[in-house]
Order: sequence, then structure tokens, then C-alpha cells
Amino acid sequence: MNPRALMLEKAARPLYWIMLAAALWVLLRGHNAPGGGFVGGLIALAATAAYAIVFGAAAARRRLPLGPLPLAALGVALALFSGLPALWWERPYLSHLWFSLPLGFTDLKLSTVLLFDAGVFGAVWGALAGYVLALLRSVEAAAAEGPP
Amino acid sequence: MTTASPHSEPSRSSYLWVALLPLAGFIGLVWGLLQHPLPWRGAWPWVPVLGVEFSVYIDGFAAQFLALIAGIGALVVVYASAYLAHEPARGRLFLILIAFMVAMAGAVSADHLLLVFVCWELTSLTSFLLVGFHHEDERARASARQALLVTLSGGLALLAAFILLADMAQSYSLRAIVERGPTLVGDPRLPAALALLFAGCFTKSAQFPFHFWLPGAMSAPTPVSAYLHSATMVNLGVYLLARLDPAFNELWLWERTLLGVGTLTAVWGAVQSLRERDLKLILAWSTVSALGTLTLLIGLPNPGAGLAVATFLFAHALYKAPLFFVAGNIDHATGTRVIDRLTGLRRAMPWTSAAALLAGLSMAGLPLSFGFVAKDLISSAKADAEVLAWVSYATLFVNAAAAAVAGVAAIRIFGGGTAEPQDHVREAPWRMVLPPLLIALVGLEFEFLPNLADPLLAEAARSISPGLDGTEIMAPYGSGAAVVAAEITFLVGVVLFLAWDRLHDLLQRVHWLDHLGPAAFYERALGAVAVAAAWQTRLLQHGRLAAYLRSSLLGLLLLAAGASLASGARDWIELTASLFAAWPERGWLWLAAAALIAVGAAAGLLLRDRMALLMSSGLVGYGSAALFLFTGAPDLAFTQFAVETALVVVAASLLPRYGPPPAIEGEPRALNALVALACGAGTLALLAQLFALPADRTLADWFGAASVPQAHGRNVVNVIIVDFRALDTLGEIAVVLFSFIAALPLLGALARRPSAPP
Repeated sequence: MNPRALMLEKAARPLYWIMLAAALWVLLRGHNAPGGGFVGGLIALAATAAYAIVFGAAAARRRLPLGPLPLAALGVALALFSGLPALWWERPYLSHLWFSLPLGFTDLKLSTVLLFDAGVFGAVWGALAGYVLALLRSVEAAAAEGPP
Repeated sequence: MTTASPHSEPSRSSYLWVALLPLAGFIGLVWGLLQHPLPWRGAWPWVPVLGVEFSVYIDGFAAQFLALIAGIGALVVVYASAYLAHEPARGRLFLILIAFMVAMAGAVSADHLLLVFVCWELTSLTSFLLVGFHHEDERARASARQALLVTLSGGLALLAAFILLADMAQSYSLRAIVERGPTLVGDPRLPAALALLFAGCFTKSAQFPFHFWLPGAMSAPTPVSAYLHSATMVNLGVYLLARLDPAFNELWLWERTLLGVGTLTAVWGAVQSLRERDLKLILAWSTVSALGTLTLLIGLPNPGAGLAVATFLFAHALYKAPLFFVAGNIDHATGTRVIDRLTGLRRAMPWTSAAALLAGLSMAGLPLSFGFVAKDLISSAKADAEVLAWVSYATLFVNAAAAAVAGVAAIRIFGGGTAEPQDHVREAPWRMVLPPLLIALVGLEFEFLPNLADPLLAEAARSISPGLDGTEIMAPYGSGAAVVAAEITFLVGVVLFLAWDRLHDLLQRVHWLDHLGPAAFYERALGAVAVAAAWQTRLLQHGRLAAYLRSSLLGLLLLAAGASLASGARDWIELTASLFAAWPERGWLWLAAAALIAVGAAAGLLLRDRMALLMSSGLVGYGSAALFLFTGAPDLAFTQFAVETALVVVAASLLPRYGPPPAIEGEPRALNALVALACGAGTLALLAQLFALPADRTLADWFGAASVPQAHGRNVVNVIIVDFRALDTLGEIAVVLFSFIAALPLLGALARRPSAPP
């Protein structure tokens, strides 16, 4: 590791978690304020990429909740699934349903929309992180063989 | 073909039980015919938004087809269960066979044209899978592709014909179109509709010049050939033509096309059948000939022709299917289908020989057979219609050739002495002997017990020829002229049969027939497609990034120019003024963002270092994001910021390891500059035009109003993405996932070749 990257190295780990938290926050607020699954997924991708620059593609891959392909597939599956409950109430596929869960101090609003947006998040994060990590791995391998 | 020995019974499942499905259908049909008078009808909503319904109309003609589909289908499955006993993948064949039966039954019972079309195409698709069943054989693959290309292109023409017809008749109901047919005669679109209809029906029913796929389709397993290519699918085109005949019977175009094409096909098929040595191909060509005869009969203007069509269709299926089975049995037992090597098989294969004899009797049109009745009706139909002399001579030749083919299949192979010992030849197992015998016997029985066949055939004939009256159709056959005609035909047939080998040698020498046929044209056309594809790939997919960009931009420019021209001439000064008239309140913020973009673009032009180029492209991106922000699209701006950040971070992690940028050579820099400037100017012009148009805010207002009450979200953009247009988003993320899956092998290859410059 380049000694000049010491700052980067020290900052990378907390930065990763902060960026992920921001991504999640953007995902959750998306329905009422700028944000949503796509933007959230991109921020999470940036977090993964930054982590990979410092610690390498393999380490960044280990930090992902799932492998890139399973993550992306889970995302699409979530989005697909989020349209199903509507069929039970004889509404068209992907008609979104809302539930209110009273918690005493506030009402927790749950919806299949959130499920759908989380699916978008996972698909974007997983697939794009898969691209980035694979490309990084190839240049790392080239660097390990000798100076370019 | 199969090399399995017929001696050992299969140990694993033979799939014989599959025959219960079509058998149940057949029993249900017979029961229904006894209980309820025809026609049966039903309709269920299918795509109510478009007014498409799943409507079914079964009259006598459809019932006749259903009986053939289910009855012969059951026996085909029985036969195949033994024929394919040693085929490991036979489960697949039975599955496709049943799917084909369902599609076929749907095609003949459907009343809504789109339902007819869907079932029609399904039969083409399943037929493709069946013809290509031995997919490890290259010839089978080529035949399957040929059948698919020919029948599917015909299917597309048919769809166009259906849409035109429905548009003219104001109804998608087949029956309604037939009823309103005469009123359509004056419509200028009718000739086009009929030409398309002919293309669809002629490809499906192997009429000249589309007939060549049918003999090719003989690479299918024999039970499939017996079923699809004699008794069912190929008759579908004839079915539709016969269905529509009452509507267009009087038309000169209709009558002459059917007569001409039918006659040509019948004669061509008969000639080709005399040229072949392979029993299965002989039968295939004689099927082409029979289909031509059917088309010709439909073209005859008098109502009696309807009866001839229904009867000949039935008779043909009832003799051609057994003969195909016989060919399969012989192939199975001796390993060859070349008629020169086959003789004296009656001792070794008595039951098969009996089936061949019974079916051959009918095919030759000898008295005491169903085929005789059919031939008789055909000649009386033609006599009534006073057809042109050449059609009569043609049918005489065609019938004689059919008699000769029957002689080859029934007598030549089984009769005579045996040249070599036939110890290894054994009779086929019962499941391969029963179906041909049974079907051939049914064919005979209809002759002896006419009251079994008469009602159904009369009902069927009345469906095609509403003018037909009386039910005692079959009783008075054997009029003097018809018997004489039959005798002449038969005598000529005997001559053809006896002179078969000499005739064959003669015809074999006529090589130009091979190069002239449409099959050769098909080959050339297929080759031309490959050449054109290679040419345009070399032209467009050259692998140079800058050139890709240039052609994309030029294409965009052309589109923009086309749009400008299409919207008519405009006063450019006024347009430019209108652009500035839209100057917003905080316009200087827009200017600042635009300046950011301009600086980024200029830096990109001047700089050569990769990292600096990356930064300048990031500047352009951030500039656009800022512009979005100031123009009231915070969501878009947010997304743009995130995209740019991710791109810069990712590219920055990759770039340093690629070394210095390679020199770009051979790029026409002046041209590139010109294209870039033109694109900028074109975009500006397009925007100016857009601003001059009145803005339609219907959708924007609706989404803005509906967002909170209907979707519980204040961020309209997000609500549109995840709720109102959620299906689109689903498609998009699926594309993201699939693009990644598709790229995985490439990425893997990159990782495996680390030393090569990526």
C-alpha cells in the first residue's frame, strides 16, 4: 500500500459504513423526498468502489451482504414478489398496498412499494458492483504480474 | 433414423399411457356428436380490453378435423411408443406431440381470427421442434429451420390478411367474415388481403412454390411424419381455404388462383414422387400432390365440390397415415427405405403387408374402398363444374400417379420373390402393426357402412358449401362417366407402376428440375442473408470506439433533421427569440451551470492525461446535475450527482493501472469536429422547435394530482418509478441483472488473462 494513502486507508472503513447508511437513508426517504432505490444503489456502489480502491476487490466483495450476482438476483426477485400480494385482493399485478402499524408514538407505514424500491436498490448495487469488482480484479492481477 | 432392434421390448416407461389423452378427446367428441347437434359454440373473455375473446365454433367440418386429430393422434402415440422405445429423449417427443394436438384442435375450433392465428403459429412451432427432434443430425436441423422459416413467414402474411379481412368485415369472427364475404367483393383492399391469405395457406399446405419444405420435413421421426405431414398440420391451409370458400367462391381471382396453384402443385408433386427411390419421400411427394388436388377442388365453383373436399380429405388421411406407418415398420425391420432393396416382404411381415394392401387399395381409388368414393366425387364435381380441359388431364395424371405410388407401397415391396434370405427381418411389435391396420380398416368400413360416415361428411360438406342439400350424398355414386374415368385412371396407373423403373431413370436424368425448383431459390436466399449480415457487421461493428460514437451522433443528427423537416418550415429568427423569451427568473444560475459544462468540455478537448480527462468529464456531469437542480428537477439532479460520483470513483480506481493513453491514429479529426459542431447546432434547433410547441401538461398534472392520494408519496418522480410505471422499472432492473449475467463470461475471461492489456 502506498504510504501516502494512509489517510485514505484510515478513513475508508468508517466512510464505507457512513456511505452505506446514507444510501439506506436515501432509499427510505425516496417516496417523499428526492432519493429512492436507484440513487441509493448508486451511493452504495460508490461505497463499495471506494472500499475496493483501498483494500482490494476481494475485500470489498467480502463486505457485500451477498455475492454480486445473488444480490442483484435477490433484488429483481424482491421487486417481482412485491407485485404479488395485490393479486390476493384481486387487484392488478404491482398494485401497491399500504399498511399502517401503530407504534404508540407514531404510525409505522409499511408498503409493498418499499419492497419494490429495495429490489431496485439490490439490483443496481449487486449488478454494478459485480462489474466494478470484476474489472478491478483484472487490473489488480495485471499489477501483481509486473509494473504496467 | 432409428437403429434399434425391434426384438426387445423396452424395460422403462413406454409412454403408452399418453395415448389415453387423445383417446379421451376422441371418445368425448363422439359422445358429444351423439348427444348434441352441431354446431357447438362458446366464447370466453380473453383480452377484454382489446375485444379479443376466446371464441369457439365447431361445425361439421371442424368436427371432422377434430375426429382426425384425436383419432389418428391416439394411434400415432401408440405407434410411437413402440417405434421410439429405444430413444432416450422420447419423453420430450410425446410432450411436444400432445402440445401440437392441442394447438391443432384449437386452430380448427377457433372462431376469433387472432385465436386461429395463435394456434396456427403454435402448430408451426411444435412442428419445428418435432422435425428437428434428432437435433444432433445436421440435416434434421436444416429441415426444421426450413419448415419453420417457410411456415412462419406464411403465418405473418396470414396475420396481415386476418387484420385486413377483419377491418373490411368489421369483425374478427371467422363466421361473420364468411357471412359478409360477398359484400366485401368491391373493397379495393380485398385483392391484397387474398394474396396474403394465399401466402399463409399455401406455405402451410405445401402448395407450389412453397411445397419444398414438406419433403424436407421427412427427417422427422416416422410417427410424426404420419401425423403432421399427412393427416393434420399440412391440411390446415386447406382447412382455412375451404372455410372461406363460401365467401369468395364467386371471385375470379379466388377461383383461378386455387385452380391454377392446386393443379400445378398436384402435377409437380406427382412428377417428383415418380423421381424418388426412398419410400418415405415418395409418400411425401404424393402428399404434396394430394394437397394440390384439395386446393384445386376448393377452387371449383359448384357446391358439390365441398363434399369432394371433405371426403377426399378424410380418405387421404385414412390411407396416407397407414402408409407412413408401413414405411416406418419397413425401415425399422430392414434398416432401409429405398424401394430397390425391398422385395418379397409379405412373408416376413404379414400384418404390415395387409395394412399396406388395404391402404393402397384406397389410395389407388379401387372399388370397394373409401378412396374410390372420393375419386368418384372428385370426378363428378369436376364434371358438374365444366372445368378447363387441362385441369381434367392433370387430375387424371395425378390420380394415375397416386395409383402407381400405391402399387409401389402395397405390392412391389411386399410381393415378388426374395433375392436374399430375410432371417433378420421380423414383423414389427403389435403397437406398430395395430395402428396402420386399424386406420386402413376404418377407411374400408366407411365404404361398407356408409351410414357411419355419411352424416359426418354431409355435415362437413354443408359447412363448406352451404348450398348443398340432401343427405343421400354417397348413395348414387358410380355414374357411368365417373366409372369410365376411374377405369382410365386406373389403367394409366397400372402402366405407370409397371414402367416405374424406366420412368424413374428417365426422370432422374432431368437434372434441371433440381436447380429450377424454389428449394434452390430458398438456399440462395438463405446464403444471401448471411452475406448481407457479414457485410453490415463489417461496416458497423468495426470495434473502434470513436467511430461508433461518430455513427451514433450522425444517426441522431439525421433523426433530428428529419423531425425538423417533418414539422415544416419555421421562422428561425422567431424561434431563437422564443428561446430567449423563455428566460427564467434566476437565469444566471443556469448560465453558471452551462459554463461549468462548457469548461469541462473544453478541458476534454485540450487535455491528454487520462485522469485529467476523467475529471473534465466529471465536470460536465456535475454541470448537468446543477442545471437540473436549478430547473426544478432535484430528483434528476440527485441521481445525476450520484451517477457522476460513482463513475468517477470507479474509473479513478481503474485508470492509473492502464498506463499512458495510446496515441489515437487514423481518426479524421476535422470530420469529428464537424460532427460535434453539427450535433450541437442540431440539438439547439430541436430544442428551439420544442419550445415553440404548446406544452401538453395533461400527464404531468395528472401525476402531480394523483401522487399523494393514490400512491401515498410526495416525490412524484419516485412514485412514477415504483408505482405508476412499476412494470417498466421491473423490466429495467431485469435488464441490469441480465446484462451483468451476460457479461460474466467476459469478465471471467479478463481475470484469466491478466498479462494481456485489458
